[in-house]
Amino acid sequence: MRPTLSLLKSGRSAWKGPYFVPFANLREALANHTPIYTQARACTILPNFVGVRFMVHNGRDYLPVLVTQDMVGHKLGEFSFTKKRFTYKASKNK
Amino acid sequence: MVHILGINLPDNQLARFAFTHIYGVGHHTAHRLCARLQIHDKCKVKDLSPFQVTSLASFLSSPGTAPPLPKYPLATLNHVPPPTTVSTQELQATFLEAQKGKTIKNTDPLKNLKIESELRREVRENIAHQRMIGSYVGRRHAMHLPVRGQNTQNNAKTAKKLNRLDRHS
Repeated sequence: MRPTLSLLKSGRSAWKGPYFVPFANLREALANHTPIYTQARACTILPNFVGVRFMVHNGRDYLPVLVTQDMVGHKLGEFSFTKKRFTYKASKNK
Repeated sequence: MVHILGINLPDNQLARFAFTHIYGVGHHTAHRLCARLQIHDKCKVKDLSPFQVTSLASFLSSPGTAPPLPKYPLATLNHVPPPTTVSTQELQATFLEAQKGKTIKNTDPLKNLKIESELRREVRENIAHQRMIGSYVGRRHAMHLPVRGQNTQNNAKTAKKLNRLDRHS
């Protein structure tokens, strides 16, 4: 997944439009507040996704992403972190 | 030393390189500025006329509201010049008549130019937006780490120096 550069000036051709995945259960997810489990990290957030809760795969498990108005134009993967911060763990036997 | 909007332009540099001292003006924009003010390629800062300096300052203070550049159409290949008996006033009148219906579209490439504090503010706003929506980019800025997947085992010095939420350079 590439992060979004800018909505119109992203490297993608204009005639293709933004890349997105048509989620079949979008309407019922919005009505019932059920999360949508997805692995489509490269899917652009469209204006009709606002308010939907997604569970976006980060390669290991699904992290919750609540889509707000400001996220429109970004991609789902930008909100599901794939890296863990390094923490030092003392080894048991020296 | 020439001062434009509080920026010193060194005297002995070529004008098109000296303009790049302004934050937000690179070589390309400097070239466009030179073209706009009719500064030739070898002109140094000390050779700039006072009129050029003042017009540069007035343009840079508000590029958006600058009057659009006059656009004079070139003659077509099959153009036949009018006979010399026609007076200049008549020619001008017909030219203005032809131009009247056309609306001048402001196609100025420097119309949306942002420099100095305005540009810095825009950069800060973009970072703040990323942080506000909680994206990876915003988080990396907050952690003072590279944003675009660079290595962090060594180095990453520039990112550690510059990447912050209230970035000031």
